[in-house]
Amino acid sequence: MKKSLNIYILGILLTFFASCVGDDFIMDFQEPEVRITTLLDTLEINTTFQFESLYLNHVGIEEVLPTIWQSSDETIATISDQGLVTAIAVGNVIIEARVDNGSAIITDAKELTVGMTTVLDNTGLSGSAQTTSSYKLEGDFKLLELDNGNLNLSFDESYCASSALPGLYIYLSNNRNSIADALEISEVTIFSGAHDYEIENAELMEYSFIVYFCKPFNVKVGDGEIN
Amino acid sequence: MEKLIRSYLIAFFVSIIIFLPQVSIAGGPWTKAKGKYYLKLSEWGLKFDSHYTDTGQIDPNITTGIYNTFLYAEYGLTDRFTTIFNGNLFSRNVMNNQRSQTTNEIVINGDALNSVGDMELGLKYSLSKPGAKIPMAISVQLGIPTGVTGKGEFGTLQTGDGEFNQMVQFDIGSGFNIKSSNCYFSAYAALNNRTNGFSEEYRTGAELGIELLQNKLWLSTKLNVIKSFKNGELATEVNSTSIFANNSEFTSIGFEANYYITDKIGVSANFTSAVSGRIIAAAPSYNFGVFIDIN
Repeated sequence: MKKSLNIYILGILLTFFASCVGDDFIMDFQEPEVRITTLLDTLEINTTFQFESLYLNHVGIEEVLPTIWQSSDETIATISDQGLVTAIAVGNVIIEARVDNGSAIITDAKELTVGMTTVLDNTGLSGSAQTTSSYKLEGDFKLLELDNGNLNLSFDESYCASSALPGLYIYLSNNRNSIADALEISEVTIFSGAHDYEIENAELMEYSFIVYFCKPFNVKVGDGEIN
Repeated sequence: MEKLIRSYLIAFFVSIIIFLPQVSIAGGPWTKAKGKYYLKLSEWGLKFDSHYTDTGQIDPNITTGIYNTFLYAEYGLTDRFTTIFNGNLFSRNVMNNQRSQTTNEIVINGDALNSVGDMELGLKYSLSKPGAKIPMAISVQLGIPTGVTGKGEFGTLQTGDGEFNQMVQFDIGSGFNIKSSNCYFSAYAALNNRTNGFSEEYRTGAELGIELLQNKLWLSTKLNVIKSFKNGELATEVNSTSIFANNSEFTSIGFEANYYITDKIGVSANFTSAVSGRIIAAAPSYNFGVFIDIN
């Protein structure tokens, strides 16, 4: 009996050590990015407009770093250190945002027209969701800014997703492999056909991807780049 | 008659209380003789970082572990009635941290849950007379959701499935000899009625065993198949994950060794792995334990 118990106790000890919380690693590296988030097509002459940008580090998380703004032609438009654009003459310029993250200079540029009236670029963004797992997921989507300031994410009839997963959620993220610092939109409860989500506390140009993530299994199911 | 039923019920519950795992050489179509019993205390463990998807393919998931301490008991009320208790006395469900490979920071915190797990109560009736060449038995098993669900930061840890279930099982088998070694074969078919939005299941399986070392060592191999009728609620509406997920299906093959250290006391070890499945862990489980077999 003693021998049996000793074998059993040895087994329990092995189980005890095997049952500790360990670490799994995700490959979440991506190239750092500066993104001009202002959606402006044309700026009325002799007016000003505040440009905004964000810097995303090598895992897609926003960091506040000084931005250097530059206009390609200061006879058409100038831009201050704080990103305030002043339209001076009719024409086209390139507005550039530049961030020094300590290891590299990262830039983004946007073309701006100076004209007779200000025209905002409100055509919205779009993309296609696709599976990155063995679970079915596909569908085209559009992302628009609503009049109330919220975003609308709408899928068309092509959308189809597996209903077999418990706890499937959709996120807005700046890293397609991670939901760190991502915005949780909703649990997925519709698995085919057109539907939409209204998203609060987010800006149109703030995120690069939608990510489908299964919470119980802590695993990404699919994604879609927002263009 | 009333007295007989009352005596039976008392004996049933007393046997459960007194004889506080998993079926090994116990089980099958063989019932215990009156007053005889089988007890087994065992540790069962499963750690998996991948799972079978709804299409049967294998996908990765956060490393998850489930570790259970089972107490399994069979007691012969009569030569044809055997009570069965299978209790998960302690269950630990663990999920790893998810860390960034780039920054080494934790992206999603790991978590662990310790609690009692689910219990099963059963009653087996031998359809054949004791000593029959082809014994057959029918049993009813009740699954009691004493485990917990929806725990942890994301509500994804659980030590039970959170549902009552009733399973009716038919067993058939036979003993035979290969040279001087005793052998047995058994097979079963069962229907599992589940509640709380879970789909019903049907189960089948077979077991082949051989005795070696002058009745001291039993080696066996087991095949188990669980299929879902998929008549329950969608996965989104049932709060159940990992091995407790709704509509899980699998075909598994296991190998088991039971070694009698004395005539009545022994140790056992089991290794089982799914060879195909749907919404279930894709990793082998192990089980080891000590048992008392009073025949």
